[in-house]
Amino acid sequence: MHFNKRSLITLAVLAAVLAGMYYFFTKRGITYIWHWESIPEMLFYRGGKSAADPSVHLRMGILMIGFMLTLKISITATFFAIIIGTIVGITRLSSEPITRLLSSVYVELIRNTPLLVQIYIIYFFFGSMLRLSAFTAGTAALAIFAGAYVGEIVRAGIQSIHKGQMEASRSLGMSYAQAMRHVILPQAFKRIIPPLAGQFISLIKDSSLVSVIALADLMFQGQQAVARTYYAFEIYFTVAALYLVLTFTLSIATQFIERRLAISD
Amino acid sequence: MIKAEHLFKTFTTPDHREVKALVDVSIEIEKGEVVVVIGPSGSGKSTFLRCLNRLEDIDSGRLLIDGIDIYAKKIDLNKVREEIGMVFQHFNLFPHKTVLENVLLAQIIVRKRNRQEATEIARSLLEKVGILEKENAYPAQLSGGQQQRVAIARSLAMHPKIMLFDEATSALDPEMIGEVLEVMKKLAREGMTMVVVTHEMGFAREVSDRVIFMEDGKIVEEGTAEHFFTNPTSERTKLFLSQIL
Repeated sequence: MHFNKRSLITLAVLAAVLAGMYYFFTKRGITYIWHWESIPEMLFYRGGKSAADPSVHLRMGILMIGFMLTLKISITATFFAIIIGTIVGITRLSSEPITRLLSSVYVELIRNTPLLVQIYIIYFFFGSMLRLSAFTAGTAALAIFAGAYVGEIVRAGIQSIHKGQMEASRSLGMSYAQAMRHVILPQAFKRIIPPLAGQFISLIKDSSLVSVIALADLMFQGQQAVARTYYAFEIYFTVAALYLVLTFTLSIATQFIERRLAISD
Repeated sequence: MIKAEHLFKTFTTPDHREVKALVDVSIEIEKGEVVVVIGPSGSGKSTFLRCLNRLEDIDSGRLLIDGIDIYAKKIDLNKVREEIGMVFQHFNLFPHKTVLENVLLAQIIVRKRNRQEATEIARSLLEKVGILEKENAYPAQLSGGQQQRVAIARSLAMHPKIMLFDEATSALDPEMIGEVLEVMKKLAREGMTMVVVTHEMGFAREVSDRVIFMEDGKIVEEGTAEHFFTNPTSERTKLFLSQIL
């Protein structure tokens, strides 16, 4: 990074704003006794499973348990969103009108209704008909939601590949499916990594909504911890930081993958 | 080898104009023959070539390749295309694959050759087009002429019976045209059946067995290179030649 005179001014303004905020919150605003000391044990603690358990082990605290479930939901939903999105992206470009219509109805339906409503519908309606667990229903809702957006990204990616690539593949005797798999999609996916990453970062954040169907993810566990301790500020800041760990890791990983794949450019 | 009977094709442009790309085109091309198709842009010469492996559909007519009607309903088009190589103006190499992988891919997934056999074939063809030393480079690292030579090797690796060239040198810098034409001449001498759409009159004169001149979707003049360049019959051909030579 290069600093110049303007950076100094920017830093000065930033420092002034932070000082002002500190003054406002401590001297003018509410008085609040912080309880940061109770946060670490919500992440990890040493002891038994419950008060009656005498064993001493390093165990995950309530927020860490929620974090792990959020991770599991996000990874599973991302996996299925890629599969759904690839199918939707390809069928949106199908030469067969019914297939094309069905996939665009799916995309429009999902993109134009709120995710929260979709989660309720999938959990209460489909969930009770098909006897889905909260995990299955919540993860399915996220995958179906993200799949519609991924489908549009994949479609744009495929369309961005020059038609000469398909013609060259077909003239070598490849079938449409072979050309898609070996020639078009690898190039398209490489090109759509940045928007895909954005979509999956959204998916991680949106996963906090599944707490409404009592799926004990990071958000849900955070709410539970707040209900028990009333340390709302500390806990929600910590919850936010834990989401940030997930999304920021994904962000960094994407940049790394992008650099690796840039070799053939 | 190739027998076209009364091919017709009309395009509709985005602004709803109708363009007659092929009007009653009939021609027979023998095995081992090198046919050069020339004509002004928009004359239908590229469309004609792209109909030979059915990258474009025709409106009516019949096209037999090796006795097989490739516009018949129940035809395995992929099988037909395995036997017809095509080289494009803009090379269309697969940019995410190395030179060697470009030549390997269709051999392995279409011809079902094992990797070792495919690699041997690929290497010998890359050597033939003079670019073996770049086998691990990506297309973006090559010059236009080098890319086009790789594209030719990629087509040849399928061991096609026919090779189609669609303005294979038109997108190249002048100093690179020669190296690609050399490879095409070598192929012609080896007896490959070739249909070549080109603006390279030198190539047409030197290599072709027959020259076809097209305009407005019709074959206007057809004959040996000798006849075509020294003694054309149609006024239109004379005008075209006077403009380009």
